[in-house]
Amino acid sequence: MSTAPAATPGGTTMGIEAGAALEAQALVRCFGATRALDGLSFTVGRGQLFGLVGADGAGKTTAIRALAGLITLDAGRALVLGRDPAKGGVAVRESLGLMPQQASLYPDLSVAENLRFFARLYCLPRALFRERSARLLDITRLGPFLDRRADALSGGMYKKLALACALLHRPEVLLLDEPTNGVDPVSRRELWALLHELVHDGMTVLLSTPYMDEAERCHCVGLIHHGRLLLAGEPRALLATFEDETYEVEGGEREQVDQGLASLAEVHAASPAGATLRIAVARGSAGTVAGALAPLAASLRPVAPNFEDLFLARVRQEAA
Amino acid sequence: MTRPMRFLVRVGAMASKEVMHIRRDPRTLYMALAMPVVMLLIFGFGVSFDMDRIPLVVLDGDRSVASRALVRAVSAGHEFVIAADSDEATALRMIRRGQALAALAIPADYQRDLAAGRDGEVQLIVDGADGVVANQILAKIDGLVRAESLRRIDLAAEPPLQVKVFTLFNPEARSALFMVPGLAVYLLAIAAVLLTALTVSGEWERGSMEQLFASPVGRLEIVLGKLLPYLGLGMLQLLLVVAVGAVIFDVPIRGSVALLFFVGFLFLAGMLGQGLFISVVARSQLVATQAGALSSLLPSLLLSGMLVPIENMPRILQALSSVIPARYFVHAMRGIMLKGSGLSILWTDLVALTIFALAILALATTRFRRKLA
Amino acid sequence: MSELSIEAVHLSRRFGSFLAVDDVSFSAARGEIFGYLGANGAGKSTTIRMLCGLLAPTAGEARVAGFDVKTAPESVKASIGYMSQKFSLYLDLPVRDNLDFFGGAYGLSGPDFAARADEVLRLCDLEHERDAITGSLPGGIRQRLALGCAILHRPAVLFLDEPTAGVDPVSRRHFWRLIRRLAREGTTIFVTTHYLDEAEYCGRIGLMVDGRLVALDTPAALKRRYVPGRVLSVRGRNLASAAASLRSRPGIIAVEPFGAGLHLQVAAENWNADSVAQALASAGAQAVEVESGEPTLEDVFLAVVARPREVRHD
Repeated sequence: MSTAPAATPGGTTMGIEAGAALEAQALVRCFGATRALDGLSFTVGRGQLFGLVGADGAGKTTAIRALAGLITLDAGRALVLGRDPAKGGVAVRESLGLMPQQASLYPDLSVAENLRFFARLYCLPRALFRERSARLLDITRLGPFLDRRADALSGGMYKKLALACALLHRPEVLLLDEPTNGVDPVSRRELWALLHELVHDGMTVLLSTPYMDEAERCHCVGLIHHGRLLLAGEPRALLATFEDETYEVEGGEREQVDQGLASLAEVHAASPAGATLRIAVARGSAGTVAGALAPLAASLRPVAPNFEDLFLARVRQEAA
Repeated sequence: MTRPMRFLVRVGAMASKEVMHIRRDPRTLYMALAMPVVMLLIFGFGVSFDMDRIPLVVLDGDRSVASRALVRAVSAGHEFVIAADSDEATALRMIRRGQALAALAIPADYQRDLAAGRDGEVQLIVDGADGVVANQILAKIDGLVRAESLRRIDLAAEPPLQVKVFTLFNPEARSALFMVPGLAVYLLAIAAVLLTALTVSGEWERGSMEQLFASPVGRLEIVLGKLLPYLGLGMLQLLLVVAVGAVIFDVPIRGSVALLFFVGFLFLAGMLGQGLFISVVARSQLVATQAGALSSLLPSLLLSGMLVPIENMPRILQALSSVIPARYFVHAMRGIMLKGSGLSILWTDLVALTIFALAILALATTRFRRKLA
Repeated sequence: MSELSIEAVHLSRRFGSFLAVDDVSFSAARGEIFGYLGANGAGKSTTIRMLCGLLAPTAGEARVAGFDVKTAPESVKASIGYMSQKFSLYLDLPVRDNLDFFGGAYGLSGPDFAARADEVLRLCDLEHERDAITGSLPGGIRQRLALGCAILHRPAVLFLDEPTAGVDPVSRRHFWRLIRRLAREGTTIFVTTHYLDEAEYCGRIGLMVDGRLVALDTPAALKRRYVPGRVLSVRGRNLASAAASLRSRPGIIAVEPFGAGLHLQVAAENWNADSVAQALASAGAQAVEVESGEPTLEDVFLAVVARPREVRHD
């Protein structure tokens, strides 16, 4: 089925050098006065698990639709396996799997009927369909619910069915728009395990998510903001660029601590994390902050920065 | 798998999915099968232009053998009943109150004039509030009085000339015969346009269009997959309507049944294509329903020749009606059912319906843009 | 703080032969943030609907804000606020009109209500959006508006059913700051979420499995109890096949791919960072780095709820 340009062999690590599976080249799309995509560019290498993270309205869904060839672009070019998805015709679409963010299945059809319908759209031979659907039903644990209508599934089960429908034809490239919304942690972990397995078997996966802990599970992360890419790279490498230091505030009376921190310019961010308060402070200013907190009977404990800290900092810098 | 095979598999996938939707949603079946039959019954029985038992007031100023014979002749059939035998003031009052629709005034010297060989003049007073009713009463009285005068002539001597009227195809002038084929067209048109108008816009509203567009299924495959099940349903509907017409309203099918269904097939394809086109453009079920109802209801009711003969229309409407497929189908249906017409007469209708169906389906497919925004 | 806002005693609900909620008992104090966690379909929403007086329990009883949900459901409804995942705002109306509409639904109007609506706008940081058309606002702001609509009538107890699904981190933090403020001011919060980093904000957490409440404690106590092992995060190359060989070794509780690396949960008595690094290196992994991490509520959730399942790597 693969008719894409020959990939550079041996792209074992973060293979941008391997023939790109997905390319966004300076995508621009306006809806009225808003620029949903404002020169968005990124590349996803073959076999990569790429996470597109960003706030609501950052342009994640529009970007995924552009890559699937579902919207017209005002400027720029989207490429799937080296070809324009909007003009590539059946061949490109057969190599592509899409799981949209909103409901996209047939609510009045059962789990089995939805699966069978999509299998037939991809002209899957019966035996192959039986084999693959059995496996997907096993992984998604939807087996016992074959006869349940899609509109009677819980949010997580629905998402898993949508994923199964998008995977039936074994696409080379899988696009997932916020696949874990409303999915419980167990299912979410299983879904991630499945994604890793698919990628391990050679599939390229691009997913969008508003959740930063999920970004860290990807090989490569792109942070999208106002339709542009703020930064992209391997999560750990990106975290290494984080300039602030992160601490948890222990002890003290919450109100007083909040007020005390609010008056300090060195404190760039403060947010509750369970019983404690997590703060990001300018590098080298921990002593000052600790000194200010000491009279309030609160102390600082260093913690490793996470992707959410980074995201918040970069969005803040962008706004400034 | 070869390309044509894949094409067929995908059309089949779309079509069988559509069948499942239809089976799951009883409203679709109701709209397709029950609604036209119910409407046909309501229209067939309720909207009859055949009037009988028309209340008539008799103002017999003569009170002679001849005047009694005339009254008897008028009231002998089931068309008129004598509501009263009274004076003019009462007659006017009764007409005003709706207790009578007409009054027949026979002058005092009616019998004498007839006996003297002069024309006997009678006067008819009709409630003209409803033009159709008034016209029918006039025609009926005219016919009865004419028959009575013929009888009188016959009594005296052999009449020099006898007029025998044969009404072709619909000898009893039953409006059912005239109306049922027209109604069938009208009902088929609405149901067919609405059925497909809802199905494509439903894909937009459910969000499933996004998934379809990302899959290899082509636009023509979607259009055909949507069309075929409803074409089947539409044919079933046609069968039902024709059967109800035949069984309940005694509407005959004098021509070829096969030809009837073939014309029906072409008409349905066009109407379903019109619905597809609307929902491809509208993208919302609400808009599609309104546009679908409007675009099928008014033209097929007013411009098809079902109610108003096309020859009686202003020139501009006549021109407009020539692009309304219902016009050709009404013509063909009446031709086949009532006149037993065959292809040699109806081929123009067939050509027109084929052109419309192909054009609207091509338009729907090309206007079907594979884009969400 | 000791007065109880929610009290559920042996609460059960049956749908036909299906026991959606099975003998659930717990209580929440005034001003507490009570987290209610569980897999999709575990019975969380059914519990909320019973506590809101929308669904009668088949057995057991519950008191919310001092009212019995069985005998006084209307009083319950009047003293609670409810916000669901699919909050139903009028998207074609301005923000302020949505508040007016929902205030009207609670019979609120007049100058007192106008003052309260302004207060709620301030409280939810919506003052700048007051005249904006709701449909034009991003999800995070709409979510705060939905919260505003739910607290207009100053409910004693606020039920939040997956309030932050699909909302970005900035908006979620903002949202939780509001929730904490409401709790400090004495509103009892009952919240369900699938995002366990959020559950850390809760004072206590109840865990539902198949209709039963199987664990109930503070986040810290749950972690101590259910995640006795060590959590390690591993980086390196050729990890996948090496991890497969590790998985069968004693003391390895869980192995999970995480980005290019792995997350391990190991028994503290058998393993530490060095021994894991050694074991992986000898199984063929290269450039192995191991860091120890903190157990999270997700580890707790999985320990309590998850059915163990092998991840295939072949």
